[in-house]
Amino acid sequence: MALQPISPNPNPALIELKDVVKTYSSEAGDFTALKGIHLQVQPGEFLGIVGKSGAGKSTLLNMITGVDRLTSGEVRIRASGQEVSVHSLSENDLALWRGRSMGVVYQSFQLLPMLTLLENIILPMDLCGLYHPRESRRRALQLLEMVEIAEHAHKLPAYISGGQQQRVAIARALANDPPILVADEPTGSLDSVTADHIFDVFESLVQKGKTIVMVTHDMGLMPRFSRHLLLTDGEISPPPASLSSASPRPKK
Amino acid sequence: MRPRWRKVFLDLFENKTRMLLVVFSIAVGVFSIGVIAGAYVIIENDMSASYAANQPANIELRTADFDRDFLATLENAPDIAEVEGRRVFNIRARPLQSQVWTTLNLVAVDDFENNTVNLLTSLQGASEPAKREALLERKVLDELSAAVGDDLVFQLSDGSTQVLRVAGIVQDPTTGADDFLAPPIVYVTMDTLPYLSQPEAFNRIYATVETGENDDAHIRLTAADLADRMERGGGVDVYRTRIALKNEHPLAPTVNAVLGILMALGILIVFLSSSLIANTLAALLNQHLRHIGVMKLVGGRDNQIFAMYLALILAFGVLALLLAVPFGGIGAYQLSLYIADQLGFTLLGYRIVPFSFVIQMAVGIFVPLFAGFVPVINGSRITVLDALSGDLAHETATRDAAGRRRESVFERLENWFDELLLRRGIHLPRPLLISLRNTFRRQNRLLLTLFTLTMGGAIFIAVFNVRTTLFDYMDNVGRYFVADVTLDFDKPYRLSEVERLARQEPGVVDVEGWAFAAVEVLYPDGTLAENLTVLAPPAGSEMISPDPVAGRWVQAGDTRSIAITEGILRSFPNLKPGDYLDVKIAGNEERWQVVGFFKFIDREGLIAYGTYEYFSRETNLANRSVSFRVLTDQHAEPYQRAMSEKLDKRFRDAGFQVSQARPGLSALDNATESLDILVIFLLIMAMLTAVVGAMGLTGTMGMNVLERTREIGIMRAIGAVDAEIMRMVIVEGMVIGGISWLLGLLLSVPFTYLLSYIVSLAVFETPITVVFTPLGYLIWLALVIVLSALASIIPARNAARLTIREVLAYE
Repeated sequence: MALQPISPNPNPALIELKDVVKTYSSEAGDFTALKGIHLQVQPGEFLGIVGKSGAGKSTLLNMITGVDRLTSGEVRIRASGQEVSVHSLSENDLALWRGRSMGVVYQSFQLLPMLTLLENIILPMDLCGLYHPRESRRRALQLLEMVEIAEHAHKLPAYISGGQQQRVAIARALANDPPILVADEPTGSLDSVTADHIFDVFESLVQKGKTIVMVTHDMGLMPRFSRHLLLTDGEISPPPASLSSASPRPKK
Repeated sequence: MRPRWRKVFLDLFENKTRMLLVVFSIAVGVFSIGVIAGAYVIIENDMSASYAANQPANIELRTADFDRDFLATLENAPDIAEVEGRRVFNIRARPLQSQVWTTLNLVAVDDFENNTVNLLTSLQGASEPAKREALLERKVLDELSAAVGDDLVFQLSDGSTQVLRVAGIVQDPTTGADDFLAPPIVYVTMDTLPYLSQPEAFNRIYATVETGENDDAHIRLTAADLADRMERGGGVDVYRTRIALKNEHPLAPTVNAVLGILMALGILIVFLSSSLIANTLAALLNQHLRHIGVMKLVGGRDNQIFAMYLALILAFGVLALLLAVPFGGIGAYQLSLYIADQLGFTLLGYRIVPFSFVIQMAVGIFVPLFAGFVPVINGSRITVLDALSGDLAHETATRDAAGRRRESVFERLENWFDELLLRRGIHLPRPLLISLRNTFRRQNRLLLTLFTLTMGGAIFIAVFNVRTTLFDYMDNVGRYFVADVTLDFDKPYRLSEVERLARQEPGVVDVEGWAFAAVEVLYPDGTLAENLTVLAPPAGSEMISPDPVAGRWVQAGDTRSIAITEGILRSFPNLKPGDYLDVKIAGNEERWQVVGFFKFIDREGLIAYGTYEYFSRETNLANRSVSFRVLTDQHAEPYQRAMSEKLDKRFRDAGFQVSQARPGLSALDNATESLDILVIFLLIMAMLTAVVGAMGLTGTMGMNVLERTREIGIMRAIGAVDAEIMRMVIVEGMVIGGISWLLGLLLSVPFTYLLSYIVSLAVFETPITVVFTPLGYLIWLALVIVLSALASIIPARNAARLTIREVLAYE
């Protein structure tokens, strides 16, 4: 397992992408979705990756989470006291590392339909073995309270609204208390009011010290990130001057 | 419960149809193995235990008449523990109210109270008959209806009748245990014999040995010595010697062989059901890809996922065991009861057979684990990306070295076929094309389904072929049963005399007197090898149509020559036509030449044919005979039966001492009846394999439809009506059924040969010529069409019922 103790570095990035290229092959030919991405994310950042459909946003996120394999380049993550070259880990090691160090939230929530909300949140703790079963349960309830749906703890996902399901997905992403949260269009299938509430949750998490990388196609959300990048045709392009933000914490 | 185990628990009941399918497919295999293994153990144990408990005679001698005083001289013969004399003869009986005669074996026992050999178990009424009373062996009740206290009418050889009262019902598991087709037995005391015009003399010896009661060679020697004492010491001819071990039922090897065949089919069912389990689990894993992806996303590792799905399989196994083990136990006992009843022994009581229980547990647990291993390993190793995108859904595509998707062989074949049709201007309806393409989309699933259905079909067809093969063999044996009536007398009559009287009966075409000799074939050391009955029709007889398989048939002018059944090769494997056999006939040792072999069913000793001309002189019965064959103008069994009755009456009325008049086909019918039982068992197993095959197809169609819910929605959105969607699914099921039928057609050929070989060895102790019948092929074709239509109708209805909104929302 390619885990190393963090070397002394005056300004260590939490997430570091070096020349990341991803090419898909098909009978129709090769298609390069990411064309040499360089990116550093600092602890406590709320990074928004904004781009149109097909720009490579989700692919970039999959490179960071290790869900998909890169064609060339490297992704290094320094979390939980260890430095990891994500794509040198085996699938198995990657699963355990991801479960402990990174929470992932998807647009389609991806809750297991047969488990209650509480059980969905306990599941990562159960699989990663960081918490005692009794502690897992207590913690899961706390997380449900944090996302304000504790009263539905014993319901199945099908019986709550989309916004509530996304809150559960966020709570599940936080189950093992990872330093990093990665979210792929988390508000994409929600109405604007609900989406706003979900965004509030993310912002409060950043305030509590979490680092969040979120992709979205909604340009309107850009002011709410502490930093954002525009992804166009697999390349990071400089943000338009009018929208660039230098402040680490934008106003709502 | 931890969430992952709770997920396993909930997955178990998530889809009830699928759960039932998996549980039933495991249960069918466990059940059939449980029934057969259980019956095997129960019968193996109880058959011999029940037999041994009744003190079976190790030695049975059929002799000329002798008295009590002479019997007393045998009690001190070397190594004889117990010896009893009895009188056994054929007699006809009927209930008072009935006019239908039944041929019975009447056994007169000297002392019921101090009976020490071939013990009787009293079932009802008295255990000892008084004078002019009879005890009925319970099998008599299968032939005629009688109860304790009823009167039975017995017909004596002079045509007069006597009435005996039924004093009790008994069971005799030992007498005639090697011939379950022999006539049932009635027991009387010796002092009842005079009423039946029989002398108060014995004609049978039943003896047990002092030592080595399970040592075949030792019993043979003791029997030879005993027979020698009777012949040399007392001048009592010994016609036939039979020996038996104490602790082995004479039919145990045959029953075990038949159970062995059923066991082999049971194992095959397990094998087939395992492919069905593999298929269903692969589909389940496929439907759970997203769940696996999510679990891996939040930290689940391969081994955790693997353990979860293994636990799920185990749970399916446990549910199947809960269902199949109790029924398997009951089935095993019922099967044992049936066999015990047929063969006339008792079981030691209902019980759980540990061996069968362990085998069922092993099959129920390990077969699903084995079958599910590959799908579960594949499912647990899938990457998060593939899992979340459901990328396994496109099984037909292969990938090149660079990971690019390529057309599979099937896809290329389809394209080639489409172009071929187009070039010839043939336009298949689009829905039919979709059905055909859908059939080949999931090749692994298709192959497993085809495998199960093909094997099921091939066995089904093979069983029909085996049935025809067996009956064809019986028809061939029928060549030796051309005569329509067999007329036996208690004493010899002149041929001309019998022929003249018989021909007075309208319908009689021809009459032949046959000579008959009961001889013993000896090993070179002088001990008994086989009992042999020589039938000697006149040379060129019209009453048999012999078909020797080696050498030639006996012909006019032959002396000391016989054609013998292949059964003799058991004792003399190297015997060839032209070789000689040492035989003992009426106390004299002679040397006979074997001129040829023929195929026959060897029951109660072997059969050989000689010429009347020689054997009638040999038995001092020239121009006379005790046994006649009559040919009539019609050959159906009812006609034969009627003619037997008429001839019986005519000869008795004329003062002849008739022993019995039997329809010619009756002996054959009895043997055919026992084959029918075997065929029924084989058919039950064949039906079970067919059921497993059909379950496989139902499962496959269900899974195919479920996975294509979205496609169906799209088709509905662009205008496909219910009937169209149903037709597409049903045609797909029938295409699979049709392919499996064609494959089953081919596979049934080796299966037929294999099964015929095993069955004929078990039943006839000789391989027989295989005969094919279209019946099995046609029935299976009809069945497979119906089954595949039925298997697709439910999934098709479900598919057609879904609304567009539902299917497009389907995940």
